[in-house]
Amino acid sequence: MTNHWIDIKNADVILIMGSNAAENHPISFKWVQKARDNGGKLIVVDPRFTKSASMADVYASLRPGTDLAFLGGIINYALQNDRIQKEYVVEYTNASYLISADYKFNDGIFSGYDGGKREYDKKTWGYQNDDKGIPKRDKTLQDPQCVYQLMKKHYARYTPEKVEQITGCQKESFLKVAELFTSTCKPDRVATIMYAMGTTQHTVGTQNVRAYAILQLLLGNIGLAGGGINALRGESNVQGSTDAGLLWHILTGYNPCPEAKKHPNYEAYIKAVVPKTNDPMSLNWWSNRPKYIVSMLKAWFGDAATKENDFCFDWLPKAAKGTPHIVLFEDMYKGMLKGGFFFGTNPVVGGPNSNKEAKALEQLDWLVAIDLWETDSSIFWKRKGVDPRSIKTEVFLLPAASSVEKEGSVSNSGRWAQWRYKAQNAPGEAKSDLDIVNEIYEEVKALYAREGGKFPDPIVKANWNYKHGEHEHECDPHLVAKEINGYEWKTKKQMASFMDLKDDGSTACGNWVYGGSYPQAGNMMARRGQKEGPGGIGMYPEWSWSWPVNRRVAYNRASVNRNGDPFDPKRPVIKWNGSAWKGDVVDGGAKFGPEAKNPFIMNAEGVGKLFSNGVVDGPLTEHFEPKESPVRNLMNSQAFNPATKVLESVGGEFGDAGAYPYIGTSYRVVEHWQAGAMTRNLPWLTELVPDMFCEISPSLAKKKGIVNGDMVRIFNKRGSIQARALVTERIQPWNIQGKEVEMVGMIWHFGAGCAESGDSCNNLTPHIGDANTMIPEYKAFLVNIEKA
Amino acid sequence: MSDNAFLVDTTKCQGCRGCQVACKQWNGLPGEKTEFFAGPENTNPAELSAITWNHVKFFPIDRSNPDRPIWTIMHKKCYHCNEANCLAVCPEKAISKVDGWTIIDQDKCIGCGACVNACVYKVPQVSGIEHVNDVGQKIVKRDKSHKCNACLVNKREVPACVTTCPSEALSFGNRAVLVKEARKRVAEYKKDFPHACIYGLDEFHGLRVITILRDAPEKYGLPTGKAAEPMEHAKAEAIRDTYALLSTFTFGIPALKRTAYRLSKSLASKEV
Repeated sequence: MTNHWIDIKNADVILIMGSNAAENHPISFKWVQKARDNGGKLIVVDPRFTKSASMADVYASLRPGTDLAFLGGIINYALQNDRIQKEYVVEYTNASYLISADYKFNDGIFSGYDGGKREYDKKTWGYQNDDKGIPKRDKTLQDPQCVYQLMKKHYARYTPEKVEQITGCQKESFLKVAELFTSTCKPDRVATIMYAMGTTQHTVGTQNVRAYAILQLLLGNIGLAGGGINALRGESNVQGSTDAGLLWHILTGYNPCPEAKKHPNYEAYIKAVVPKTNDPMSLNWWSNRPKYIVSMLKAWFGDAATKENDFCFDWLPKAAKGTPHIVLFEDMYKGMLKGGFFFGTNPVVGGPNSNKEAKALEQLDWLVAIDLWETDSSIFWKRKGVDPRSIKTEVFLLPAASSVEKEGSVSNSGRWAQWRYKAQNAPGEAKSDLDIVNEIYEEVKALYAREGGKFPDPIVKANWNYKHGEHEHECDPHLVAKEINGYEWKTKKQMASFMDLKDDGSTACGNWVYGGSYPQAGNMMARRGQKEGPGGIGMYPEWSWSWPVNRRVAYNRASVNRNGDPFDPKRPVIKWNGSAWKGDVVDGGAKFGPEAKNPFIMNAEGVGKLFSNGVVDGPLTEHFEPKESPVRNLMNSQAFNPATKVLESVGGEFGDAGAYPYIGTSYRVVEHWQAGAMTRNLPWLTELVPDMFCEISPSLAKKKGIVNGDMVRIFNKRGSIQARALVTERIQPWNIQGKEVEMVGMIWHFGAGCAESGDSCNNLTPHIGDANTMIPEYKAFLVNIEKA
Repeated sequence: MSDNAFLVDTTKCQGCRGCQVACKQWNGLPGEKTEFFAGPENTNPAELSAITWNHVKFFPIDRSNPDRPIWTIMHKKCYHCNEANCLAVCPEKAISKVDGWTIIDQDKCIGCGACVNACVYKVPQVSGIEHVNDVGQKIVKRDKSHKCNACLVNKREVPACVTTCPSEALSFGNRAVLVKEARKRVAEYKKDFPHACIYGLDEFHGLRVITILRDAPEKYGLPTGKAAEPMEHAKAEAIRDTYALLSTFTFGIPALKRTAYRLSKSLASKEV
């Protein structure tokens, strides 16, 4: 989230799209309700009439996988009707920047495309620079090569009629949404966007989020109270895990993982990952990256990390290739992996094409599952239809402590790191993840010491001290938190913030974005101060600690004009009084006044990118159909995202609308948690939702002779599952290109393990993902359905 | 006597059913074994029962105004009528008002089902099972009538269902203050939903659970007018008098008491 949960109450308009927040983030609605009580309006755009939709002032239905057509339509509506925040757009976005004359767009393909590789060379997506190397601008927005004009032309194709033909959303409904949402182009009217996996789990997932960014920049809604782009994270600490570098492509603090080919050494890595600018208005915050990398290496490798050996950069594993979830399991399927650790993860229920993923597990020599209970993944070897005797994998189940049985921080979607105390001891031999990891580390280190090995240094010389003494049994999470915060190497004094970090090895810091969470003064994350704070907008700056540097609203420099006056004086985030900033912790450092620096400090140009070379699949958004779609693409002659990679190994796993005419989509319900291991064992929750079910429209039910409660079979080339059918008016077909398009909605919480079992809908989801992130396309695929 | 009441605002209910679970957790009630959904949409179980004292019902979506489909999700528990039929008919005087709340004394209850039949909302239910919780307390007794006790038995300041509600669909406080708040909200809601109303102001001389509805009470099967008036005292008294006479021959045996009650009821109805 650029903003935070409480801040939702400040919004004049709330757009919930790609999320069913009322169902999956119930507490968020406390703030949505507050916004509505203050006269705010709620828009919900969703293929189903959901619980969120039931609370909406305006609801619009769209076919799964057509978000970019819908959002492109709103962008077009804003541009054609001049419903944009002009001052913001000119000053704080790249609307006025001139793009290379070689940039072209034709029939869904941007310039630089290599069809063989399904890849873009992004050279032509750059700016025209002046002789000082600063991008040229036309602040009148008239130059035909300026971003604003290129966008106007690009999005003119997204007419309301086209939106209706593609999405199935009636023109009137679409226009109602467009009108209400763009009403926040007034400087003091603000809209927020709440989104989740319904936005991201597509082959165009990143571009879906890009479209939100474009809209919010055009309307001047980023940086303001009640504004921003707010990703509702799917687990309580998934934000923290992202911050801590748990994803396949990043180290801690959003620094890229080194790759073998691109980054053979420290120098090459720094050259590749540190952006440059000649623009004096740009802070270009990532120019500080060497400080963050070196301090992280120092925290990890301690005394061994010296200037002479590039602070042990060479000790970091270098990826031979990007290995997101789908690639990992394809590799496992091919027998390329020896073993695996599953910390609270259950791919046999939650992974895409989960039949195949269960089969992939059979290739492992060993699997360690760390969980509260047995999960479908830890008992994959005795799943339906397999003979345990034929499976070689040795499986260990380590009992884990639950969240209330251990101390530590949990970072919520709003970037608040909240410290939790331990409420009670874990039962039996269950241990915290920290203690489990520590014991494994100590044992591996001892093995290296005893038996030697090919490359022991990164393990045996790691700076790893999380216990108060060698004979202590348990680690102290405070020691981990202190290392994450950072400290001066020599004195071991805790850092006040990341502003003190250096690239010479004199500072150590596990994760720069958490610099300031645990300074000399103590654990800021454990604070529970209840003062509302400046502006009366619910920032509560003394409650826990928010990264970075306790800033509550990211990009807040964009909430004021060049004089430092808030665009929205009723709900000021920050204000410049002529010599100093008041309000939230200002972005980019307090010493720069509003006229001195551009507000989007993480971009090399310092402004928001309407047109972006930061993504691999196009500088502007464009509608493509999902990989499996029941209709052809009306926007261009490409079927699905031309920059999405299709792994060779999955070639035969896709089906077409002939055999599988219905759209399949997956989602969660409030009563169950993720893959269900934690909730399918609880009778209070299984009373509410006892078994696997799907939702279909009355018209599809009639066509197939299905009545409410019937057991049905849903199938495609990847699998076949059984589910109960909930026939509901909340699902309605769309009229697309003259045909009725129906949908089968499925929950994905069920699997074979636990007290209440059922089939996983992920037996049906495909092994294909977004062009940038490879997040699986769980939200739009093809199935067929029949009465079981 | 406490002046407190519950306010249920169905326009703010997002159907998370936290109230249904919190009630079971706080009172140590067991989960019911269900299959698929017993009622419309996600409703489960079908209704209130002896082990489900707080229930959320999902109504089918109403698309009569295509621009503004209504999906009503309603929280239901004992309405704690000011003039409660259950109290009037209970032959053993097991039901009484405690601090304004309608409470069943489990020791006195004989499980005759008088209250079950008398309640137009179908709230109290006689249990066919016995349930002992994790720490050995007998939470649900067989052949006894059970329902919401406004968290008066396992005492807490604010009832569990209200505490857990994330969207302020449930509130708890002084009834007069809540009624005022409800009137204010309904005036606002009428702009979007012209038939929006408050239920529970006058029914059974005033309910302790006041509900804000987007549409008329009849749409949700809630009785109004004559159907929501307390039963005639004469009738209740006639049954009770007959029962008092007959029960002297039951020797305190619950099964006989139940038979005596059934007999009294049929005799009384013949007299009337």
